Amino acid sequence: MSAPRSGRSVATSAAGDLTVTTTAPGLRRAHLLAIAISLVIAASIWLVGLPESTSLFDTPLSTLTVPAALVVAFTGITLTGALAAHRPWRVVEIVIASVLGVTGGLFLWVVAQAWNTVTAPLSFFPPASAILAGLWLVPGVLGGLVIRRPGAAVYVELVAAVVEALLGNSWGFATVWYGLIEGLGAEFVLALLLYRAFGLPAALLTGAGAGVAVGLLDSFVYYPEFSASYITAYVVLAVISGAVIAGAGCWALTRALDRAGALAPLGARGTVRI
Amino acid sequence: MSALGALDGSGRAGNGIDPTAPLARANPLAKLAVSLTISMALVLSVDVVSAGVALGLELLALPWCGLAPRALARRGWILVVAAVPAAVATAVLGDSDAPVTSGLAIGLRVFAIGLPGVVLLATTDPTDLADALAQKARLPSRFVLAALASMRLFGVLAEEWAALTMARRARGVGGGGPIERVRDWGGRLFALLVLAIRRGAVLATTMESRGFGTSRPRTWARESRLGVGDLLIVLGGLALVAVAVGAAMAAGTWDIVIA
Repeated sequence: MSAPRSGRSVATSAAGDLTVTTTAPGLRRAHLLAIAISLVIAASIWLVGLPESTSLFDTPLSTLTVPAALVVAFTGITLTGALAAHRPWRVVEIVIASVLGVTGGLFLWVVAQAWNTVTAPLSFFPPASAILAGLWLVPGVLGGLVIRRPGAAVYVELVAAVVEALLGNSWGFATVWYGLIEGLGAEFVLALLLYRAFGLPAALLTGAGAGVAVGLLDSFVYYPEFSASYITAYVVLAVISGAVIAGAGCWALTRALDRAGALAPLGARGTVRI
Repeated sequence: MSALGALDGSGRAGNGIDPTAPLARANPLAKLAVSLTISMALVLSVDVVSAGVALGLELLALPWCGLAPRALARRGWILVVAAVPAAVATAVLGDSDAPVTSGLAIGLRVFAIGLPGVVLLATTDPTDLADALAQKARLPSRFVLAALASMRLFGVLAEEWAALTMARRARGVGGGGPIERVRDWGGRLFALLVLAIRRGAVLATTMESRGFGTSRPRTWARESRLGVGDLLIVLGGLALVAVAVGAAMAAGTWDIVIA
């Protein structure tokens, strides 16, 4: 990760556009510098601390020191990772991502129809419904693993959420906000890995990252009356569910799709890297 | 599958929807902005006053949406299915001090968030929405149009599903016990996904062969227009949110869930 690396080469295919023959740029010195700067800023926030006198929603800002430092560090790394891996999307990548988004939206719609029935037996322990939360994360994680592009996870999950809302569910357009944040959770992990790892460990982490997002969002927005221990249980279960259902599930699905030859238009990849 | 018909554009005409009603013929972007603002504001707090006031104002605006009562019932039943169990569960199983009030708040919130979405879906053609998103909201046109093109695959996917089912039956695959059935279903779903992706690749080639995705400036067959009416609708939506939140604050029930 330290020395500048040449990116993966782009195979042109029948469905690809023939103008893309350059290799994607790897990490340059400027990227490493940007990562270092964000780490320095984060460290100084952590060491100095945020002021205690100012408060937001009756919470003194000083309690947000560690989260703020983490946000700055992670944002710096992910943005740099996304920029380093950036090159314009090919049309075939956009269309296949859109197809995944639309079919993912259909999938989410089916999940939404079944949600109340399926989670009803779990109501003996309210946070238990989180063990199925990974189902909501499938489109985004699948998109990230299949397309392997900065923004793919967010785009696919967002399209899926919009399609789900348009098909009609009980949450209306709140679904769109959910889709955006769930997609960002997955995107964040892929960017931390600098869009270079898409194997099983990376897939598990991506699913877990999206699980953190949906777990926190649900417990803030949907179950505000949960106690702290319930919230912890909910988030932990959501992370496990995200890693297993969305992470491992989408990894297996991506591999199966590759074996079936469906991913050939996206360029050569081979089962080693998946 | 009436919902699917609405997405690929086949289920629009008739159906008790008056496309010339002021809210129905507005730019989809205005309707989307209102729906997103209302959902964002109401998600922040669970309380009877904000949800109730928002729902009341939405119902007042309903006569201008061009939805006949039957059309509304056919598309809005899903809200009832969701709101009633959620409200009952909160009232009966929840551990709040005022169970009936919290149950009512949860139920009203589902309606108040969901109703704008129902109206938007019923009165908006996805093509108009895509045109507005690309031309007026300036979202990247390649992504918007590819998503729109993919939505048209819905009808095709239904046909593919039928063909897959028949092909499997002809080969004698599937059937048997419940486990066999689930495996068979999974196999068909996977095949459907492979077919969809392949179709996507062909679609991409076709679109590129017609000049889609070049760096030249795009021209538009249908121009999306924003008028004074759209501005009024957005202002009305903001006013609705302001009144609902203000009423809840005045009543002292506004309670941001994140804090």
